[in-house]
Amino acid sequence: MTAALPVLILLTSLIPAGVTFFLPQDRHLLRNTLNLGGAVLKLALIVAMLVAVGGGAVYEVALPLAPGLVLLLRVDELALLFVSLSATLWLLTTIYAIAYFGRKPELSRFFGFFSLCVAATTGLALSGSLISFFLFFELLTLSTWPLVAHKQDGASLKAARSYLLYALPGSVALLWAIIWLESATGPVLFTEPPDLGALDPWALRAIFALFILGVGVKAALVPLHGWLPAAMAAPAPVSALLHAVAVVKAGAFGVVRVIYDVFGAATVAALGVGVPLAVLASITILWGSVRALQQDEIKKRLAFSTVSQVSYIVLGAALAGPYAMIGGLVHLIHQGLMKITLFFCAGIYDERAGVKRIEGLNGLGARMPWTSTCFSLGALGMIGLPPMAGFVSKLYLGLGAVEVGAPWVLAVLAGSTLLNAAYFLPLLYRLWFLPAAADAEGDERAPALVGPAVVTAAGTVGVGLLAASAISPLGWASLIVTRGYAP
Amino acid sequence: MNGLLTGSIWPLAVLVWPLLMGVVPLIPAWRTQAPWALPLAPLPALAFAALGAPGTTGVPDLVLGVELAAVPGGALLIGMTAAVWTVAGWQAALTLARGWRTGILVGFWCLTLAGNLGVFLAGDVVTFYLAFAAVSLAAWFLVVHDRTEGALAAGRVYITLAVMGETALLAGLLIGAQAADSLQITAVREALAVAPLGSVALALLIIGFGIKAGMVPLHVWLPLAHPVAPVPGSAVLSGAIVKAGLIGLVLFLPAGTGWGGLLVALGFLGAFGAALWGLTQRNPKAVLAYSTVSQMGLMLALVGAGQSAAFYALHHGLAKGALFLLVGVTAAASGTTARRVTLVLSGIVALSVAGLPLTGGALAKAAVKDGLAPAAAWAVTLSGVTTTLILGWFLHRLAVSIKPAPGPNWAALLAGTALLGAAALLLPWLLWSGTTDLPAGYPLRPGTMFDAAWPVLLGLALAAVLLRRPPPEQPPGDLLTLWRRPVLSPATHGPAVALPRPPLRRLMRLLVLTRRPEGALQRWSTAGLLLVGTVLLLAILLAAG
Repeated sequence: MTAALPVLILLTSLIPAGVTFFLPQDRHLLRNTLNLGGAVLKLALIVAMLVAVGGGAVYEVALPLAPGLVLLLRVDELALLFVSLSATLWLLTTIYAIAYFGRKPELSRFFGFFSLCVAATTGLALSGSLISFFLFFELLTLSTWPLVAHKQDGASLKAARSYLLYALPGSVALLWAIIWLESATGPVLFTEPPDLGALDPWALRAIFALFILGVGVKAALVPLHGWLPAAMAAPAPVSALLHAVAVVKAGAFGVVRVIYDVFGAATVAALGVGVPLAVLASITILWGSVRALQQDEIKKRLAFSTVSQVSYIVLGAALAGPYAMIGGLVHLIHQGLMKITLFFCAGIYDERAGVKRIEGLNGLGARMPWTSTCFSLGALGMIGLPPMAGFVSKLYLGLGAVEVGAPWVLAVLAGSTLLNAAYFLPLLYRLWFLPAAADAEGDERAPALVGPAVVTAAGTVGVGLLAASAISPLGWASLIVTRGYAP
Repeated sequence: MNGLLTGSIWPLAVLVWPLLMGVVPLIPAWRTQAPWALPLAPLPALAFAALGAPGTTGVPDLVLGVELAAVPGGALLIGMTAAVWTVAGWQAALTLARGWRTGILVGFWCLTLAGNLGVFLAGDVVTFYLAFAAVSLAAWFLVVHDRTEGALAAGRVYITLAVMGETALLAGLLIGAQAADSLQITAVREALAVAPLGSVALALLIIGFGIKAGMVPLHVWLPLAHPVAPVPGSAVLSGAIVKAGLIGLVLFLPAGTGWGGLLVALGFLGAFGAALWGLTQRNPKAVLAYSTVSQMGLMLALVGAGQSAAFYALHHGLAKGALFLLVGVTAAASGTTARRVTLVLSGIVALSVAGLPLTGGALAKAAVKDGLAPAAAWAVTLSGVTTTLILGWFLHRLAVSIKPAPGPNWAALLAGTALLGAAALLLPWLLWSGTTDLPAGYPLRPGTMFDAAWPVLLGLALAAVLLRRPPPEQPPGDLLTLWRRPVLSPATHGPAVALPRPPLRRLMRLLVLTRRPEGALQRWSTAGLLLVGTVLLLAILLAAG
């Protein structure tokens, strides 16, 4: 039973995906039950595993796929961090998506790929070896494409094409890195650091660069981020999933795995590639914010904000001190909660009030108080206002930066804070202070849309307010670092 | 549930109670009466201070582990803060129009109050930062309450400086916490004295706290915000909120660093400069704002010189809060007698701030001068002249520019404010022997009395001259108006919104430049190029490998 748990978790998404594809469009009830049931079951399994793994248990299962190719699923603390994020937010996004799409066409296709996308994310998180990681990474790339293209209009198709054009070279780079590395070291398992002595330092640096190129496309590192702002043409639930749970997080998670479980923090430091990566992440943080400042479309502003915020995770991993790593890992959860709140709200503004651009936000606070409160909390969290989620991440990243002797990162964090304030506060000002246009309309009588946003917004405050308790994301991230990566 | 809360519950209750009061406007049935929560919110803090601010609290699971204990001089500061907020809340409840805007004010007023009390209770860096952020950012709602163009413009300056201050502060505190390997405020202060990046951190902290404390040249928000905020809002801003910056410097500035000298210099610059510049103002609240900058300058100089400023801050907070509130009382005084009584009371409180013998202000000055170097003590004495001058000017402007309007109950307003004024005059007498090492009869000695009396008399004489030949009027915000040039015509220069000033405009243009490379990245020919490039790179690597 315990060995089967990781497989079961994977199946809770895979089975709904497989079945949903064959459901006729009008079987709404069955489709929704299936998807929600899968999501709830998955969450329950994960809670059970969290308790067990917290107590020190490790689940591992190897599935031979082809001769010489073993799919290794392994549940460790780091994997669970990512899986519990994706499972929680998947459930909420499913509820939201069901309400968002209502009776629109092609829902079986949508929910099929939606579940597949989450299955891929889950598999990627649970992967215990590089090659398993790669398989799920590719599955994720391919299952996301139909979601981005879902509306089938010009903009969506263009965005989907741009996504593939960025993702495929990334995949090639990743595959190349894996082959190059494994040809020298044999199969790389995340539990056993590979013996890198067979490769000379420059080859290792090249492999590291290829790895970062490969996962960096998904993590939207500048200059590989062009696809992400374009992809905001997708429907709101997809954006929420893309920005908070699946794709960009897969990239960031990949960076963490590569640094800590493939190369090892010490090797990364010895090769001297950690600092350049931290610099790249810093550039991304500032560049994304500067670009966000100039966007007039709400979702585009949020998209550039994601570019910036996801690199906090990369920055934390690259700095490689214990505090920085905790800060980066906890931001994996925190950014997810905050950003999904913002995208949920952006979707509600669009769907219920027809508001896509920031001018439309004027005076919306009075008519849509719940949505606007959630949006405000998400935005303030992003700025890093204490005691919200973003503050905790920033605090640990800052401590970590000083700890590893990189105080210049403080300037990056400060600059990012100011820029975040500069592009979020005017939105809040519009929501609550400016008068609404005379012909403005819209309401928020859609509990299934507003409910998930309220839950994630409460989470944004809760994880910060209770950060010091053992069951908080911060507590779990500290557990990961002390158990697995303490120097 | 053992371990959720350790120690005494009172320090926590002092902070939680205002937060609960802040929720009152959200309850529909209570909404119209919500402003009456304002005078109630600080009462536990008042009682706590009267008992000497006893006890410590630990809430290990909250944020990163909250620890509460009164800071040195905390009972005085908490008592002063609570008193100012109580009376200001009383006036707010009596004067503010009922409506949704007041509901918003009530909520954020209480949040600001909790933050203001929190900075005097925080035992660890994160709690302090949290409280400081609350008092700093939530106070924006006090500034913009009237939603007039001036209020919103002042609000912009305020929030910009506040966010910048918060950011500087966090960076400074992080360096300190890392160096100390602890979040304890005392450990961080010690570490800052020796840490390799300690001076960077201290510079950041002085900027962050200086903005809040109205340190010249970071004081520009004060004279802009005070005239536009509602009267009770100005009273708490000037009486209590600015002290949050002061306590920050007291808590984090290690003794014996070169930064103390900088604080003394900037402090005295503000003490004299602001008092004189205030004479160019016509709005009595703007005059008072400059007086606050001036008085805070004195307190910053005291902190820089390593003196305790708590006793001085106690008097100034009570008196300045009362003076601001008296502007509101004057506006409600419709009869001649009422008007006369109000002005006389204003005069008495103003003389106390100036340091007239036998007033609380004279005691405060006598107490702090005792520990200072002779030159600094002389400067404090001399500041009595400029203080008398600016407050004389304030009384004049109060008498001529505030026109009484039929309004709320003057007597009830006066009663609260008179209590606050009486506390300013008398409390220093009661607390004298407990807080200073000087003998009980010290304030009554002829030398002390003479030192206190002559600056006031000289100032009064100068004020008489000034009233005949008033200085030319200047816009509030002094330094800020120096670099603000007329905005270029929007027709010839880009976007219709012509908000940014020239320096900002140039920055904006730089930002817009980032659009070009970004556009290139989003064209799919570039993405194609990337694909080809990757393949080429692989080929090269293949050949090399």
